[in-house]
Amino acid sequence: MPGFSGGGVGGGVGGPASAPPRAFRPSRYVPVSAATTFLVGSTTLFFCFTCPWLSEYFSSVIPIYIAVIFLLTLANFCMATFMDPGVFPRAEEDEDKEDDFRAPLYKTVEIKGIQVRMKWCSTCRFYRPPRCSHCSVCDNCVEDFDHHCPWVNNCIGRRNYRYFFLFLISLTTHIINIFGFGLVYVLHHRQQLDTPHAAVTMAVMCVAGLFFVPVAGLTGFHMVLVARGRTTNEQVTGKFRGGVNPFTNGCMRNISHVLCSSQAPRYMGRLQSPQSVEVQPPFVRPPLTEAQLEAKVLDNGIQNDRHSTRSKISLDQMESQSADAEPPPPPKPELRYPGLPRADTEESSLLTEAPLTPSMFKYRPPYNSPGRNHSAITHPNKMIRGESLDSPSTSILQSSRQPSYRSEPSSLDGATVVGGGVGVRRGGGERGEGPGGPGGTAGGMSGGMSGHSLTGRSYTSYPSSLVLSTGGSHSSSLRSAHTAHNPLATLQSEGTTDTSYKSLANQTPRNGSLSYDSLLTPSESPEFESAAHELSPQKPRALFSSKTIMSQPEVMSPSSPLQGYTSPFLSAQIAQQREGQLLQGSATFSSPHRAYLRAVSPPPPSSSGPPESQHLLHHNHDPSSRAPRNPSSSSSSPGARSLEPPVSPPPRGLSLGKSYSYTGEAGPQYKPQPTRGGTVLGGGGVGGGQQAPQSISRPVLANHTTAKPGGGVKKVTGVGGTTYEISV
Amino acid sequence: MAETHSLQDLQQPTVSSKVYVQRDYSSGTLSKFQTKFPSELESRLDKQQFEETIQTLNNLYAEAEKLGGKSYLEGCLACLTAYTIFLCMETHYEKVLKKIGRYIKDQNEKIYAPRGLLLTDPIERGLRVVEITIFEDRSIGSGR
Repeated sequence: MPGFSGGGVGGGVGGPASAPPRAFRPSRYVPVSAATTFLVGSTTLFFCFTCPWLSEYFSSVIPIYIAVIFLLTLANFCMATFMDPGVFPRAEEDEDKEDDFRAPLYKTVEIKGIQVRMKWCSTCRFYRPPRCSHCSVCDNCVEDFDHHCPWVNNCIGRRNYRYFFLFLISLTTHIINIFGFGLVYVLHHRQQLDTPHAAVTMAVMCVAGLFFVPVAGLTGFHMVLVARGRTTNEQVTGKFRGGVNPFTNGCMRNISHVLCSSQAPRYMGRLQSPQSVEVQPPFVRPPLTEAQLEAKVLDNGIQNDRHSTRSKISLDQMESQSADAEPPPPPKPELRYPGLPRADTEESSLLTEAPLTPSMFKYRPPYNSPGRNHSAITHPNKMIRGESLDSPSTSILQSSRQPSYRSEPSSLDGATVVGGGVGVRRGGGERGEGPGGPGGTAGGMSGGMSGHSLTGRSYTSYPSSLVLSTGGSHSSSLRSAHTAHNPLATLQSEGTTDTSYKSLANQTPRNGSLSYDSLLTPSESPEFESAAHELSPQKPRALFSSKTIMSQPEVMSPSSPLQGYTSPFLSAQIAQQREGQLLQGSATFSSPHRAYLRAVSPPPPSSSGPPESQHLLHHNHDPSSRAPRNPSSSSSSPGARSLEPPVSPPPRGLSLGKSYSYTGEAGPQYKPQPTRGGTVLGGGGVGGGQQAPQSISRPVLANHTTAKPGGGVKKVTGVGGTTYEISV
Repeated sequence: MAETHSLQDLQQPTVSSKVYVQRDYSSGTLSKFQTKFPSELESRLDKQQFEETIQTLNNLYAEAEKLGGKSYLEGCLACLTAYTIFLCMETHYEKVLKKIGRYIKDQNEKIYAPRGLLLTDPIERGLRVVEITIFEDRSIGSGR
């Protein structure tokens, strides 16, 4: 919405290579102060009251030994506290230009044959490298994020994990020393227990004994983690449960990596060497053929798409097509910018590049094509992304207006692109929620084409030229749509469910079973109805603009979900689904298609029925593609914040041939934060994909568990007291 | 950044675009960059030169992260001195990073600047991307 326009820009321009200043919160320092006080205080008392006798009675080696261990503990404690854990500087504005809101929420990379998902960090403006996570306490992305430790008031990441680990070991040893020698003292002074020395020694022993249990437990836990090559984050979110850890190199190598590797460099606060190299034209050029120039246009469209040549050529392409015929190919990145408030960079780039052609302006304001609707909506989307952490509720509504624009890819697989504009942004990778479909009209179109496409859920993350050429207009809504969800996801629990369903009108099976969602939406909850209302005006527009949509008119109207479709199977399932939804979003379907129904479980989207039912039918044939990634029960209460892990299709599609896939996203921090709702959906739903047709959503790190787990949902308690549910 | 097109301004060529060479995670989280030649550079640079540059960078990073006796001794020494050694001594990784900085500067001077390109040290981007800045070539006429 208009009000957010500033926010989006602000968010994007944000902090160039540093973290923004945060408010001083004294409560953050309480645990670390307490830890320091106990450590230093107890040890000092011990040295003053117990050690003199020890050195007399036994030898002076003992106090020296205790002092050495204590110094080691203190040194490691200071390093763990004050050392930069491996914070990534915010990405430069130029870097994320092309990844703005058109790009998918997730990118998949293959690590040793295992698919790993990299999530877009809206705060830091880059795709988080594997094992990187964003700490909400520190508001930074940390490399090899382990957890945020309140006792040292610092994140534990790549750079300081070693010190943290050594701190734990040395602290355990120190506690054992204190307790042991204190015990020796007390046993020798049984008759003089009323002396202050004995009293102090006993007090110190009590403190030591009290801290011994949790510290030793944590030490043992981390020893196991180091041996297995996992981070706390990965362990707690169950990423590698039953799967393969791509980051392990064997026990010995893992241990030596932690203890013996060279100190990793810091990224923040580096002195940037001034650019001393002069770049002056004329420039040397290698010989270039015409064919190469032609080919250049369609290549590598996702990234670095800012060349003026490209924009020019794309303009030509667009000019050559009539707007009323079929949807034009997606406008090139520069053209998509016009609608956004990033005027300075765009305008400057436009000015310095080729002279503006009239066709460029054709795409600026909304015109009679999917792209236009799209651009009109992209603003709110973009803004939503920028405001991701601010107002989930409003953004939910906003995102819900992106109805058809946020369609899912699945429908696009086969027929796809035809309609043009079905911005299948598959090239970019997976989508945050549901099958990241192209945005814009694609929604409507995909609805119509769902019948053909459903097999598709082979959402692969490979960029295909076809996709790129057609993805276009709607792709812009992709990231924004997803990010709209996504920020919510990070706030709550990553997952598509509510919001994504709301926003996705009919679309292709977002998480597998679209039909139910759409059918249920209008009558289910008021939120959906409002969303549906919001959607309805959008949808018809999108529909009409796209000629290729087949059953659009019916499909799109949320008010008549069952138009054109009266399959008894569907109605039975719908009934089941409704029932299930009433049970707080947990999937209680007993239908054979429970797998994907469950994925849909939380409030059904306000999409229309018929296309979904078509999807459903097609899905019946292809249950495996629909692995529900969202643990139905967990975090989804109707209209609640929870966003189930987005889509499974992309990884699944790829994972069919792979052994394992997992999402690189984990909770922002190990310590659960109630304010953040479900936080991370942890491994998202990827895990199960390739395993079985009824793929299992990865456990969700939810701060609260839904009251009633749905069928086949298992509650698991992780370390640290967090519980999450896994749909089995 | 908008610049007027005056002859005097030609001394500072404008940035046409930036190409980002992403990390190659196929063998884990080791620092390695993709050697795939970006299409935007096709008209500016030879593929072999680019690949050679990236490959050398990868080798240097591998050397920095090598788990060898040297890094182990360094760790032990640091532990024994309660990490005060870090105040005076430079770690192995930092030494290699300096080497990488020199290499990039050298490459820029010899190969990339004459072609209107500029490599940015990936450490400035958190070792996530190698940023190659493409400068607009006004001498030929229309920008490409």
